[in-house]
Amino acid sequence: MVFFEQLAGNLLYGIILGAVYGLATMGLSQIFGVLKIVNVGHGAFIMVGAYVAYWMFVLYSVNPILSIPVALVIGLALGLGIFYIVIRRLIGAPELASLLATFGIGIFIEEVAKFFWGPDHRGFSWNIGQVDFGITLIPNTKLLAFFSSVIIALILYMLFQRTRIGAAIRAVVEDREGAMVCGIDVSRIYAMSFGIGIAMTVIGGILLTLFIPVGINPYMGGEYTLKAFVIAVLGGLGSPWGAFIGGFIFGLLENGSYTILGLIPGVEPFSLTRFVAFSALLVILLVKPTGLMGGE
Amino acid sequence: MVLLKLEKVTKRFGGLVAVNEVSLEIKHGDSIGIVGPNGSGKTTLFNLISGVYMPDEGRIFLEDQDITELPAFKRAPLGIARSFQIPRPFRSATVRENVAVGAMFGAHGEKMSVDEAMSIADHYIDLVGLGDKRLELADKLTAVEKKLLELARALAMKPKLLLLDEVVAGMNPNDVDKIVSLIKKIKEEEKIAAVAMVEHVIPAVMKFAERVMVMNEGKKMVEGATMEVLKMKEVAEVYFGTSQTIGESGDARG
Amino acid sequence: MKKYIQPLLPVLTLYIVLLGAGLSIPGLWQPIAFIMFYVVLGQALNMFLGMTGYVDFGYVAFLGLGAYGMALAFSLFTDDGLGSGIIVVGFLMAVIFSILLSMAVGAIALRLRGAYFAIATIGVSEGFKYLIEGARLWGGSEGIIISSQLRDSFGSEMANYLSTFASDILIFAIGILAAILTVYTLHTRAGYALMALREDEDAAKVMGVNVTKYKVMAFGMSAVFAGLIGASAWTLKLTYVFPEDVFNIIYTVEAIVIVMLGGAGTLAGPVVGGLIYGILRYYLATVLPGFQLLVVAPLLVLIVTVFPDGVVGYIKRKLKGSRFSKYVI
Repeated sequence: MVFFEQLAGNLLYGIILGAVYGLATMGLSQIFGVLKIVNVGHGAFIMVGAYVAYWMFVLYSVNPILSIPVALVIGLALGLGIFYIVIRRLIGAPELASLLATFGIGIFIEEVAKFFWGPDHRGFSWNIGQVDFGITLIPNTKLLAFFSSVIIALILYMLFQRTRIGAAIRAVVEDREGAMVCGIDVSRIYAMSFGIGIAMTVIGGILLTLFIPVGINPYMGGEYTLKAFVIAVLGGLGSPWGAFIGGFIFGLLENGSYTILGLIPGVEPFSLTRFVAFSALLVILLVKPTGLMGGE
Repeated sequence: MVLLKLEKVTKRFGGLVAVNEVSLEIKHGDSIGIVGPNGSGKTTLFNLISGVYMPDEGRIFLEDQDITELPAFKRAPLGIARSFQIPRPFRSATVRENVAVGAMFGAHGEKMSVDEAMSIADHYIDLVGLGDKRLELADKLTAVEKKLLELARALAMKPKLLLLDEVVAGMNPNDVDKIVSLIKKIKEEEKIAAVAMVEHVIPAVMKFAERVMVMNEGKKMVEGATMEVLKMKEVAEVYFGTSQTIGESGDARG
Repeated sequence: MKKYIQPLLPVLTLYIVLLGAGLSIPGLWQPIAFIMFYVVLGQALNMFLGMTGYVDFGYVAFLGLGAYGMALAFSLFTDDGLGSGIIVVGFLMAVIFSILLSMAVGAIALRLRGAYFAIATIGVSEGFKYLIEGARLWGGSEGIIISSQLRDSFGSEMANYLSTFASDILIFAIGILAAILTVYTLHTRAGYALMALREDEDAAKVMGVNVTKYKVMAFGMSAVFAGLIGASAWTLKLTYVFPEDVFNIIYTVEAIVIVMLGGAGTLAGPVVGGLIYGILRYYLATVLPGFQLLVVAPLLVLIVTVFPDGVVGYIKRKLKGSRFSKYVI
């Protein structure tokens, strides 16, 4: 059966891409979990990561995996900058304000990118061979992206579970006032969480370039904002680990439905897959708004 | 005649049991106080009665009608009104508009027009003594005035059962006395069937309530005539960790 | 009656001035029509965002579906001998399409709290674009062009008049209708219910307000007006509909900026916001063509962080208790 082989191949691909999706979403959940702010401009930071990968590769011949530290620094700087200029003022403000502000920030970043780098699609090709899984061929670059995502997620997990700062962040998530009473500098935790959240997103953007050969452009983020929200809600908004698992589920869902939609004559499976993402979000919100993994 | 009946009501948040199998009957004519240390589940109990939360177990009846599953907005027209511990006025609206919303959507019936609601609002604003602030924006009020606004808003809903969550907390003893007398007077004049009061300020409870229920760690500890309950040693231990009784000290904040 | 007319006076006066200036001063009609589009767009979104405090990031989908409703009426029924009545069918379809979408999204997402609702709407407009393109629905990415059907139904002279002038007049009419409906709503039980749920949803519920009902109502109303705008300002005026254009997120951003700039939840807010924004946008289109959002996006961030009441919200607060307060709501 050609179809099932194709489906199996696409599902394997879905798992590999899913790890990157998961990493690219953890920041969104992290920021919501700690600051209770929904970063509607999430996708713009993925786009920033993609451009970091592109320019590092094109200008300095540095491959995307080695660009991760660069993305970390840029992401932290960007995150902290935005936190101190805007987000800081919105803690405790009506939800509407933070929704609109992060929306505006995302669009602004996109427009700046367009202003400097133009609206054209860009891409680069980094070829280091591939592995034959029998059902499909997976390029080594994508496998590297997969392992990098898993390792970074694990490092973050250690950071959260084993360090003082991680403990402080967890304390703030559980009980803001209580943490304050215990002498935790809550506003510093907010800043760090926002910075780390954005840095993770930018890193996610770097790794995503290994899956989109010529898809780097200023507006690429919109699609990932949507996907990230599907994933974050799947994982129970606010839980970075839920988001990481949600990434795998979404990767499978997306690539599985792509294969199945391809069977319908006269449709463009690529566009329809994106429609599926949006429908999935509504369905999840309808069935269990707190997420499949989340508790109550 | 029983107005409100709670049957083994339980509410959990994650691993924490905030309210644990609490049963309670509130009868027509009751003035009941609900006391207990912080975190003992008093406010959660109010949230369950008013429909902010749904219980995990147990049932709630209002005059024989099972309201366990009823959403909050359907309980208000049946005659349940409450104030919030931390006042939650509609800040961009005037005092009058705030109270009018209560009249419009409370237990007066569906057809209450905006104009009628405004005149009902004026009545209650005068009753709680905010008459000269009626056109003031709610967020310009002082803390005590906001508490009074909460009260007026709940009264304007024409409740059978009025739930007051720490209305006198943070007031000076003079104001406490005044407000408690006011509530007693209003209960008579407005023919409110029953008033339940969650309160830390024990003198207010002693002055107001004929009956009290003491809660501790989500459970109902004891229920009975106010003075008798407050003299109990166990109750004092829950509050102070000593055997000095509340009746002697007269106050039990925090 | 007086309480409805007093606050309408400033708004209607502005409309009359704009209309008069546009008709009498040569060369001014186009810019004024351009600005009016933004004024009315703001009024439409204000019915939802302003009244409920909920934000719909896929708002443009309602304009898009309205545009498609009108275009489909022409492409499906031109040969059915409806004559000029086809335009009524078009508006009807525009309204039905936007109501259906608002019910579909609203029934699911408006039961949820603000943030979740906003999340649910993020994919709506893009989702529709991809559905139309992906399933090759309604002409797919090639869109629908109705210029020949317009000529067949109305004759070429009337068709030309319709797209260059009457469609703009329709926008004025929609704006006046929106203003009247807004004033009326603000003075009814629904208006107070919406105020209450916007300020504090939990408190509103406990006070007996069926918050979901009123949110769905405001959402539907706002959607209908968006649909009417899409049908007139896009389909009738431009005589074509392309998915890329009518689901463009830029209109959502602009509508939000207009509402917040003018003052959310006020009657005059979106009118003032639309006027300021329309003029700014007209100017930006000449000095920064293609980069309007570069200015608009930071403007939005600035408004919500330092000036959340907006122009009219600020004035309204200042006038509270004075005798002018009844003119500004």
